[in-house]
Amino acid sequence: MTARRSGVSAAARPAAWLAGFAIAFSMLPGIAAPSPAFDFTAEEKRRILRHGPWPPASAPDPSNRVSGKPDAIAFGRALFFDARLSLSGAVSCATCHAPDRAWTDGLPRSRGRRTVDRNALSLFNLRFNRWFGWDGAQDTLWAQNLRPLLDRREMGIGPGGAARLVHADRRLSCGYRRAFGEAPGADDERVFVDLGKALASFLETQVTGRTPFDDFRDALARGDAAGQARYPAAARRGLRLFIGRGNCAFCHFGPAFTNGEFADAGVPHFVEPGRVDPGRLGGIRKLRRSPYTLLGAFNDDAQRSTAAKTRYVRLRQSNFGEFRVPGLRNAALTAPYMHAGSLGTLADVVRHYSTIDEDRLHAGGERILRRLDLSARERADLVAFLETLTEKGPRREVATKPADAACR
Amino acid sequence: MARRRLAGPALAAALALVLTAGQAAACPPPQGWAGAGSIAGELWSAWWRPEPAPIPVGDHFSVRFHLCGPPVGRVQVRGWMPDHRHGMNYRPAVTLNGASGTAEGLLFHMPGRWQLILDVRGAAGREKLVGETVPE
Ligand code: HEC
Ligand code: HEC
Ligand SMILES: [Cu+2]
Repeated sequence: MTARRSGVSAAARPAAWLAGFAIAFSMLPGIAAPSPAFDFTAEEKRRILRHGPWPPASAPDPSNRVSGKPDAIAFGRALFFDARLSLSGAVSCATCHAPDRAWTDGLPRSRGRRTVDRNALSLFNLRFNRWFGWDGAQDTLWAQNLRPLLDRREMGIGPGGAARLVHADRRLSCGYRRAFGEAPGADDERVFVDLGKALASFLETQVTGRTPFDDFRDALARGDAAGQARYPAAARRGLRLFIGRGNCAFCHFGPAFTNGEFADAGVPHFVEPGRVDPGRLGGIRKLRRSPYTLLGAFNDDAQRSTAAKTRYVRLRQSNFGEFRVPGLRNAALTAPYMHAGSLGTLADVVRHYSTIDEDRLHAGGERILRRLDLSARERADLVAFLETLTEKGPRREVATKPADAACR
Repeated sequence: MARRRLAGPALAAALALVLTAGQAAACPPPQGWAGAGSIAGELWSAWWRPEPAPIPVGDHFSVRFHLCGPPVGRVQVRGWMPDHRHGMNYRPAVTLNGASGTAEGLLFHMPGRWQLILDVRGAAGREKLVGETVPE
């Protein structure tokens, strides 16, 4: 966008840039090299500030009556690590979302009872999502949590099996009663959906901590030069590319570095020869067939106050091959990348964007991604910037055992 | 083709006098619509305003509009990002009451320049009215 506005053709730009550089030098007698630090323009500053503040304000999810309730959080945590929720008794949520691997499994495609088609998404900052899953087939966190319990390749216990387990196990019945204020009822599907809601209450607590980028961003907002100076020069140059020539921030927008929507980023979507992952196209179709949406009977909010996205979402052929724009906080901890884990490192991702084949994008004529032809240094700068989106300090402990011994 | 502008009502009215020869008759904005956007076309002209204002990036908003010109049969509302050549991922629902209406369920998912497009139809013909806006 900026490039288009400048009105300087791509061919002319290096020359103009060189000329500008020469003039800048001639005005600085006695200075041998430009300082590595530079000031962001007012427009750049405006764009940078939009990626904060962090963490953003948040409120309980009205579609989930136990959102934010401490007893539901404790119950959800216990469920998350409980392998009895799988048909084989050997797979828990943590099999593919390990707390010590930033809630992923480190595999290109996850393996539960069998291997699935996609890369395990990390579970940070979920409370800020509009859609869930790489294809956005779920419109709430609680509905997303039901998916592995229904999919026989993952855990597959299903509503009947899950409800039987809760009724039969004293500790789970007790956890349910505390979380929901009543004993698990006779309606299996209701109990099943409630497990998704307790899991959601737990996962909502997983918000990433402050990063070096956040400190820089806030120092920029305050006009604090010393605070800004602590941000490495390479990251600063990478940030300039990210919000400028790279066009990254149109999709990786806002405090969570995602606009919450879907795009074709030029990543091949063959699952195996002859079978493609339809991405968002399949996601909207699944959403429309699902009983577990904001428009269905399990939404606890009688006003349907968060259901606009589901009511108005639009299906188009160009949704084929689109995947959700992932947030980039803690991305350095969640390799491999993209919906099927096809890229091993952040450097690979940046090289992908640098050499992207514009003709192969199925974006229905959309023009945002372009071949960037970045130099080796520019690629390293972008990676340095992405690494500053990693939270500082030791990771918080996640108690993997139910803390609540009194619940029997 | 529609000509479009976004300006304060006084300025818009003054410009309308100068610029709209051969276009739809300019009409005053509805009561209390200070600061609304205006779009002048050949057949119709429109006043429109978002709720909430300014339009946020990445959040649902609605648009109220008022049309001046011949009787209106049907209105569709869309968004378009000309620099990227894509529209919205949501299809708004329009309720029409005479020459006024509301479109609900819009969402601009990127920062930058967007067009707000009213596709107006009536016995007199059809027309595409294009307003411009930059969500905050
Ligand atoms: C077999 C591995 C596996 C297991 C077991 C598993 N997941 Fe996942 N999880 C995935 C994969 C793969 C994705 C991406 C799925 C997709 O997009 O289709 C995912 C996505 C998610 C998401 C969406 C995150 C986002 O940003 O949209 C949530 C939430 C989630 N899982 C929670 C859970 C919970 C809770 C459990 C246990 C009930 C669980 N998962 C069990 C592999 C697994
Ligand atoms: C048109 C929207 C769009 C633009 C522009 C864009 N991305 Fe992405 N990005 C995506 C989508 C969509 C994915 C997931 C693609 C997939 O899995 O098929 C993605 C994935 C990524 C990932 C992997 C994250 C993960 O957890 O797997 C990184 C890192 C990334 N982008 C960085 C960037 C950088 C750096 C730029 C600018 C050079 C950029 N993106 C520009 C849409 C975009
Ligand atoms: Cu756009």
